[in-house]
Amino acid sequence: MDVRDLRLRELTYGLFIGLGRAPTADEVASAAASTRADVRCGWRRLHDAHALVLNAAATEIRMANPFSAVPTVYRVYAGERWWYANCAWDAFGVCAALHVDGRIETSCPDCGEPLAVDVCDQRPSDHSLLFHCLVPAAHWWDDIVFT
Amino acid sequence: MNLFRSEEHIERWLGDRQPGATIPVTVLSELAHGWWSDRLPPEWQPHTRDQNQAVLDRLGLTAEFWRLP
Repeated sequence: MDVRDLRLRELTYGLFIGLGRAPTADEVASAAASTRADVRCGWRRLHDAHALVLNAAATEIRMANPFSAVPTVYRVYAGERWWYANCAWDAFGVCAALHVDGRIETSCPDCGEPLAVDVCDQRPSDHSLLFHCLVPAAHWWDDIVFT
Repeated sequence: MNLFRSEEHIERWLGDRQPGATIPVTVLSELAHGWWSDRLPPEWQPHTRDQNQAVLDRLGLTAEFWRLP
């Protein structure tokens, strides 16, 4: 990953945090004094390097891990704002990435009952919950959205 | 990658599917910190495969299931 792509990634993440949502290619191009096409080319290289994930059309951000650009069942209140995370792991990752305490709200995939966990100093308030990872690590990036 | 109330809920949700791996939420929180805490600083560099594997290994996630490609 070259310096140009690292800077594009940094700018993209910075805008995501500042806006509280994924920036569009146009917004990043404007901030970088670049073009939409150049941003999308750079995003594609970052996607291929697993540094972010594009949508199916490869035109906009789908994941700036651990943040999700689209609504999910993992909502996280952290840094005085609500975020969407891609999965349970990423939900805790939002607090870790922002270096703040937070609250995770989701529901049990089996029974649908609400689950809420406060995270304080990296520790979950409810120790009884379990995390299940269905896909082996060797295959996480085969289909990262499914994983 | 989901949170569940208990093993019973996981088993019911899985149905006929092959189970993956289950860890306590406390370990998940540590894992998330090790994996994501350096994601936002400007000096961030991509983790190597070995760096990521070391995060898993440190938490005792050493079974074949947790071996990165």
